[in-house]
Amino acid sequence: MHHQLMQPHAYVALRLPSDSLKVVELVPNTTISIGKYGSFPSNLLLGRPYNLTFEIVDKEEGQTHSNLRVVPALELHSDILAEASSSVTSDILDGKTVIDGGDGVEYELVGENGEILMRSNREIIDDPSRQKLTMEEIEVLKKEGTGAGRDIIALLMQSHTAIDQKTAFSLAKYTLRKTKKYVKRFTALQVDVPLLTHYLLSEKEALKTMELREELLALMGSLANIHYSGPSSGYGADGLIDGVGAGRWLVVDETGGLILAAMAERMGILYPADDGETDTPQPPPSQVTSAEATPQDSQSTSHPAHYHRCLAMSATSNTLTLIHANAQPNLSLLKYFRYDTSVRDVDSSHPLHTHLKTLSWLQLLSPHEDTGYTEPEVIPNEVLQAWKGGKRGTYFKKRRRWERIKSVVDETRAGGFDGLVVASAMNPTTILQHTVPLLRGAAQVVVYSPCIEPLTELADLYSISRRTAFAIDPPMSVPCEDFPLNPALLLAPTVHTVKARHWQCLPGRTHPVMTGKGGAEGYIFHATRVLPAEGKVEARGKHKRRKVLKEHGANGLAENEAALGGGVPCMFDGVCEQSEEGARAYPQQ
Amino acid sequence: MGTAQQRSSPFLDPGPVSTADSLAILHLKRDLLLPTVLSALDEKCEGYDEGRVTNTRFGSFPHSTLIGLPWGSQVRASDVDTGSRGRRGAQQNKKRKRDDRLVEGNTAVGEGSSETPTPKAPVAAATGFIHLLPPTPETWTASLPHRTQVVYTPDYSYILHRLGVRPGSTIIEAGAGSGSFSHASARAVFNGYPACESDGTSLAKKTKFGKVWSYEFHKQRVGRLREEIRNHGLEGVVEIVHRDVCEDGFLLDHSYREPENGALEQGEALPLSPQADAVFLDLPAPWLALRHLTRKAMPTTVLNAAIASSKSQTPAPTPRNPDGTNDENNLETNAIHTTSFTSPLNQHSSVRICTFSPCIEQVQRTVSTLRQLGWLGIEMVEIAHKRIEVRRERVGLHEEGARGVNASPATVDEAMERLREVESRFRLSRSAMKRQTSLGKPTDEDIKTEESDTITPPTSALLQPADPTTNRNARKAFKEGRLIHRPEPELKTHTSYLVFALLPQEWTPEEEARARSKWPIKPKQ
Repeated sequence: MHHQLMQPHAYVALRLPSDSLKVVELVPNTTISIGKYGSFPSNLLLGRPYNLTFEIVDKEEGQTHSNLRVVPALELHSDILAEASSSVTSDILDGKTVIDGGDGVEYELVGENGEILMRSNREIIDDPSRQKLTMEEIEVLKKEGTGAGRDIIALLMQSHTAIDQKTAFSLAKYTLRKTKKYVKRFTALQVDVPLLTHYLLSEKEALKTMELREELLALMGSLANIHYSGPSSGYGADGLIDGVGAGRWLVVDETGGLILAAMAERMGILYPADDGETDTPQPPPSQVTSAEATPQDSQSTSHPAHYHRCLAMSATSNTLTLIHANAQPNLSLLKYFRYDTSVRDVDSSHPLHTHLKTLSWLQLLSPHEDTGYTEPEVIPNEVLQAWKGGKRGTYFKKRRRWERIKSVVDETRAGGFDGLVVASAMNPTTILQHTVPLLRGAAQVVVYSPCIEPLTELADLYSISRRTAFAIDPPMSVPCEDFPLNPALLLAPTVHTVKARHWQCLPGRTHPVMTGKGGAEGYIFHATRVLPAEGKVEARGKHKRRKVLKEHGANGLAENEAALGGGVPCMFDGVCEQSEEGARAYPQQ
Repeated sequence: MGTAQQRSSPFLDPGPVSTADSLAILHLKRDLLLPTVLSALDEKCEGYDEGRVTNTRFGSFPHSTLIGLPWGSQVRASDVDTGSRGRRGAQQNKKRKRDDRLVEGNTAVGEGSSETPTPKAPVAAATGFIHLLPPTPETWTASLPHRTQVVYTPDYSYILHRLGVRPGSTIIEAGAGSGSFSHASARAVFNGYPACESDGTSLAKKTKFGKVWSYEFHKQRVGRLREEIRNHGLEGVVEIVHRDVCEDGFLLDHSYREPENGALEQGEALPLSPQADAVFLDLPAPWLALRHLTRKAMPTTVLNAAIASSKSQTPAPTPRNPDGTNDENNLETNAIHTTSFTSPLNQHSSVRICTFSPCIEQVQRTVSTLRQLGWLGIEMVEIAHKRIEVRRERVGLHEEGARGVNASPATVDEAMERLREVESRFRLSRSAMKRQTSLGKPTDEDIKTEESDTITPPTSALLQPADPTTNRNARKAFKEGRLIHRPEPELKTHTSYLVFALLPQEWTPEEEARARSKWPIKPKQ
């Protein structure tokens, strides 16, 4: 589990009144500024729980910094509760549990308007002069900074000459708009995968993460059957028979590490180990100190025990193996989870340190062309003793690097992976050509693409008619022109898409949100790796069957399935009633 | 078999090969999956020579051909004599053996095997096959016996993702229903079996193990679910509780205490808390369950008001408990609250909730109650999932006679060519007719034959229909035509509305003071 209280150097997302997100690193003893809403010391957030809403309390005379006040839930909801049903809520507001901080100024106008619920907008005249408060006056008020913005809002309401003509809904909208602009509040949220996905999509460059949405990411994780599969799962010993543990997934991720983070989250290896109970958390050792600025290896050579425990990429089960197209993988987004590959001294206690393995396509497909895979010369011990410490260190470092690369490359090439997850700009056909053979039977294959075309092409290469043609007259070798991929290796290839529709849920105003983002729909290709039986396998079908099907009107369905390009799993056309239509290369008559 | 082996669930760790007495999915074709417990013995004594056999529309599969295979294997059907068993009086046999078993109880399995003759070696059939897959929450959801509305893969994926359910989490699920969500959440929370702790790994000692507390008020379903969970090796990960959570809340009695599980509270007298990090409510009236999901004792007035205010908006579609019992129950819970309150929620973390309701009225009442009880970040979402069909669309006159194609002209040129040809033939026949009339009046039959002559056979090569029998191997239909895609014909256009909300950790002034002393604000230099 990960921390429930904010830790030093953790990334925290601040949701501002405008609903935008600002992600900051909590560096102790610094000031965090959230633009027009104000600034406050980072120490006021450290050690506090996530998901609380804070109000920046105005500086008092002589104070050097603003204070933060936790805003209770009922105060946050008070305007909606008030308008929802004034009679019932007043009970609650009078109750003992409620609101301390609310001074009532902000919302009394809303409360009073309970009786004008059905007013129409016939009388309303658009006229900016109805707001009597001028820009200058507002600026002055802002400088005076009274009541964390709430006073301004109240004053704005009072100064609006036609406020009593507004319908309840438009008044609520007006209040909300002014609140978003002036109230000095923010909510501190934990940066986890759902939040990061949302943040990258809405605030950052969505293209860099291939416009991945949460619902797609979630579905990918499920379809790929990604889950914890550690040594205590009761399977470890068995799986190790062939030297390979269980729960190994192959990933091709060109989203900067978002896919990888989502998969790691599902496997329980994304967050740094919890140190102690959340009640009294120990501050983790500060990450960058001057002492640690020395190269990581000198430290590990001097402490062999430590070195063994933390050997990078050494885990045998519950691992992710990333294949990257550049010399180095781009995993920049993992910094939000305190795993920064760009710094030299990576936090070796982070689970990803051992459970994430990376190799390049060159290392995978043609390792002997890669210098990292070539064994460095072995120096006899006597010679080593004579060397200077630095030189010896470099030697060991080289050896270890080679050992690491060799073991990762060899075990990856040996295959036996439990699944494959792909999100890449490369042609998926070429990726699957090299990776599907590395999967064990029943492994899940999931490919994401922001647009559908690469996936329809892929599905077409596994289509039923192609598979049938392949089975009837197998080519000399795969890949060939007609069969860039072996269509017999994947079962039931399916293209999915999923979209979440968000709704506004206010009393009496429940409807889908009015605007949204366009851009990529996002599609997922999913199939299961299978092991075709040796020799020819004929599908079953009864020749009389078709007639029966027709009578029941099922023929159309069967045809659809046949046309699905994989709609039917069977190796032969799956009008699986199976043969006569099925086993033919192209069904006719 | 070691204990770890026995407990290992095929859902979480199927192992390299299929094993006896474990659940497997027989994949017949897409959307036709058959969950089957493989068994080496013919326990049901169905009288097949090959032992236990599963019959499908694609052939018969003796379990001896399915056990010990690598997962994902394609398996040929076997020739099984399915017809003559009845005539041999196997029925009687069956009956008698079943009776024996009832008497002998569980021990009968071993003895039964000694009675039955060694099964015949299966003979592969000429046609028919299936694929053998390990169970996953997805394949199980697609094939499970429906008892209630099922929460499907796109929904449960999104819900578990948004609820932040991860290895080691504790989740409450109420109504367990058909168990699809239980299986998916079991996979999500799983981080080892509590019992394996003693296996020696010192690391595991401090681990908080993931747990699914699954509440169901329907007694028969509870029985079925418990059996399923046991058969699927998920005991210790999923716990089925027979309870109406709207009435009786989420606290557990002491029969659920597990000494290994540190998640449970220590106090003997108090009811146990599941200490949930996340809650999923798939109930007809989730707002009635919400009052049991508070962090501290709530005054009855608040709880009543919360429910009443939700009611004031819309009439209740199906209020399960009449108002009288409602109040009574409230008084009861209130009494408990004032004396000793135990929250079912994890008090040291934010708790996320999701309710799953098909109707907008349910959503409105739920949202209103959530607000009253102080939940934050309330959001409502609908998940629309589509499967896309990918196919080759073949259009053209040359396709005439083929199946599943459109044999109309593919281009304007093709249309023009055909029109010209028809036109020229028409002219020919006209001139022929003229000649005929000049020679003498033709009979009707003459005209008919002549007309049909003019249209077929066409002269153009373009219009020549492909001969399916001779060209079959030469043509490569799989790469002809245009690649198109469209949503599959059957769509689930609405499953349910998902309401999400969050309850932050309680933060007392004392805790704030402690945090302040720990992180003092240094005056600026």
